[in-house]
Formats: sequence, C-alpha cells, structure tokens
Amino acid sequence: MRQTVAPAKKEASKRTFEQSLSRLEKIVDSLEQGETPLESAIALYEEGIALSKECMETLSKAELKVKKLSKDMNSKIELMDLE
Amino acid sequence: MPDEKNIISVTDITRRIKGVLERGFSEVWVQGEISNCKLHTSGHMYFTLKDEGAQLSAVMWRSRVGQLLFRPSDGLKVIVRGNITVYEPRGNYQINCLQLQPVGAGELQLAFDRLEQKLSAEGLFDEDHKKTLPSYPQKIGIVTSPTGAAIQDMLNVLARRFPALEVIIAPVKVQGIGAAEEIAQAIRDLNSLPGIEVIIVGRGGGSLEDLWAFNEEIVARAIYSSAVPIVSAVGHEIDFSISDFVADLRAPTPSAAAELVVKDKNEIIDILRNFSYTIQNIVINRVQSSKEKVHTLVGSYSFNRPLDLFRQRGQLIDDLEHRLQQSTAHRLGMVRQQVQSFSKRVRSVDPQLTLKRGYAIVYRNDTIVPSAADVSEKDRITVRFHDGSAESIVEFVQKKK
Repeated sequence: MRQTVAPAKKEASKRTFEQSLSRLEKIVDSLEQGETPLESAIALYEEGIALSKECMETLSKAELKVKKLSKDMNSKIELMDLE
Repeated sequence: MPDEKNIISVTDITRRIKGVLERGFSEVWVQGEISNCKLHTSGHMYFTLKDEGAQLSAVMWRSRVGQLLFRPSDGLKVIVRGNITVYEPRGNYQINCLQLQPVGAGELQLAFDRLEQKLSAEGLFDEDHKKTLPSYPQKIGIVTSPTGAAIQDMLNVLARRFPALEVIIAPVKVQGIGAAEEIAQAIRDLNSLPGIEVIIVGRGGGSLEDLWAFNEEIVARAIYSSAVPIVSAVGHEIDFSISDFVADLRAPTPSAAAELVVKDKNEIIDILRNFSYTIQNIVINRVQSSKEKVHTLVGSYSFNRPLDLFRQRGQLIDDLEHRLQQSTAHRLGMVRQQVQSFSKRVRSVDPQLTLKRGYAIVYRNDTIVPSAADVSEKDRITVRFHDGSAESIVEFVQKKK
C-alpha cells in the first residue's frame, strides 16, 4: 500500500502513547517508500526523532498509577488512591 | 382451665409462630439432598430437602428458577440459601430458596457443562463477538480481590513491563455468596468509567468451588455485554472457566493476563531505537544521494552548455576587441602618415620659405595683389619680404603681353 505522509504542521499537543507510536510508524513507512520530497523527508525525520524521544521518555519516566474504585452511599463511583 | 384471656386462636398462634420463624431464619444456608422435586406449570419449583434425620419443604419461585445454572433433580446434594416462611392456611413452614448450588465436584462439573452448552448455543462464545485488545493501552481496569496474591502479581508485572499505565482496581469478593454479583457489577462499573481500554477479570488458583463465581451465568453475561475488551484470568493454567470462554482473551493466570495486556517496555524501546536508526539512515542516504545528483548535474554537458556559450561569447568579444584595436591602430597609423605628409606639403607651401628664396608678396590695403593688372600707377602698395616689407608707390605698370 502506498501512502505518503505530510509533515505535521505543528507538534501535536496531547497525543496518547499509541498515537505517537503509530504516527512514528507511518513516518518510517513513508520514508522507507522514498517518495517524499527531500524537504518533507527532512521535516518528517525531525518529527520522527522527536516522537521517538517523547515515547522513550514516557516509558522510562513513568510510574504505575494505581487507583481503587469504590462507591459512596448513593452508589456513585469514586476513584481513590491505593493506600 | 386456664384463664380465658390466655386462650388464643389457631390464626393467632400461627401468626406468632410465623413471626418467630421468619425473623429468626431470615437468611440461612442449608445443605441437603433434593427429593420429590416438581417443577410446577406456573414455573415455581417445589421439592423436599432432606438428610438422614429430617426433611424440610422447599420452594423456589419462578424468577429464581430462571437463574439456575443446572436443573435440580432428585438425589442431588445442594446448598440452599434462603429464608424460612410459614404458610398459614396449612400451618406449614418451608424454606424459600433464593440460591441453589450443587455440592461436590461432580455436580459442579455437571452445572458447568450445562451452562457451557446453554451459553454456547446462545452464541456467547462466538469468535465474531470477540473484541481486539488495544496494542498500547494507557488505562486498564482489574476486577479481582484487593487482598489476594493475584492483584500483587499483576501490579508487579505491569510496573515492570509497561509503567506508563493507569490501573483502576475494582475490588470484589472472588468467592462465596454474592461474589458473582459483585464481579458482574464491577465489570459494569468499569465500563461506565471513561477511557478504560481493557479489563482483566480474574483471581488466583483455588478449588473448583473457589473458582465457581467465574462459572456463573451473571458473570458470563456481564463479560459478554462489556463494551471494553475483557481478559479472563482465573486460577491456574489448567483451570478453565465459563468466563474464559466468553472473554475476548483467556489468560492462563493473572500474571499472564498482565503480560498479555501490555507490551514489554524494553521491546518497545528497541523498536523505537530501530525506528530512529532507520529514518536516520534513510534521510542521510537521501541527502547524500541528492548531493551526488547535484554534483553530477553541475558536471553534465547540458548544465555547462550555457557556460560554454558564455565563454564562447567572451572569446568573440575579446577577438572583436582585438580586431578593433588592431584596425584602429592601423587607421591611426595611416592618419598619422597622412598628417605627416600633409604637414610636409603644408610646410612646402609656406610663403615664408618662398619669400626666403627671393619672392615677395604685394599687398594693397592688406589684400594680396596677385596680378599686375590689379595695380595702377601711383597705387600705394606694400612689398613683403621674408624678413620685412617696403612701402612703395607704383610708378609704372607693364603687363605681359
């Protein structure tokens, strides 16, 4: 399947990890096809490196956040930090 | 005879007995063997619960009968949860069965098989209905006991493999009365929260009875109805539960479920490194080959043709200039010669020189008189020599004949 990816105009403000990773995959695919103009290729490369860094940081810095679901007297769901 | 006021009616005493019994046995667990089991056309079920020493009438209303995983039959050992009621018109007491569980592995297996057949026929295990798990979930739910080893195992695996994760634990009883209801409700609760991408439902190992809640229809239906994909992780590898069949994915153990739900961060980091390396190489190659292309173009004949033309023109101009200079110089030389020859000639006609040779010029009133015919006697004339002049008066004019 052939598809080219245009460089992102602006850095996406809030992407999920999965979105970042799939964007990165698209960039790699697009660059591998070698059909992007050189300027776009360089822009995509810069974006790709930034995304990769971002993903690595997410992985290396993150700590597991654990919450417990509980219900108040009206059976309304609340989330509490795990003690 | 007792006092008349101490005598009460049958109705009164039955009502009192009813009060005592119903208050005293509002929730009881009774184990016994079913006998005389009759399913009435109304849908209610009547039977006798007995053991070696006694028997107890039992009734199960239609709504409860509908929830049974198995068909009670005579001789089956069961545990009944219910309350004692008194039927006043006949002076009977009986147990009103709310829940009925078979006792012993054989019976449980029977119940299991029946429910499996029933739900399978209904399509609850169909592959088409199974949802795909997200590749990189960021928020997951876990339905399990908050105190068991299973939850600790799962949290450990998750923290080790993929810590960029939010985990929401829905604490439930995983065995005993009410466990199935709690599990089903927890699945619905987690579904009502925003952003949960996958739910693990499970518990650690135990006996078939311990795991039974995960074989209850209410749990199976809650899993089937869940919009969020569910991984079932009940007991050990060898234990299969109904919830395993309904779930979108079966994990052999809770730890394995945690491993199935998230990828290992080290693998992802490797992938990321690989990505960076790949795109870096591609771009470096692209830049390099573009440079080479430019070099080739600059060196090519067609690219240099305009320059050649330019150079040729330059040469032409040089040539023209040279010729121009040459021709100009030639012309100048000629002119110079002409001028020299002119000046010679001019010099040769200088009257002074002529005068020196002995000629003189005659003027009258400052005008050269070139002919004898132009003067008359007595005219005043000036005779100019090369070194002076003589004022004269014409005495006689003699013209040549």
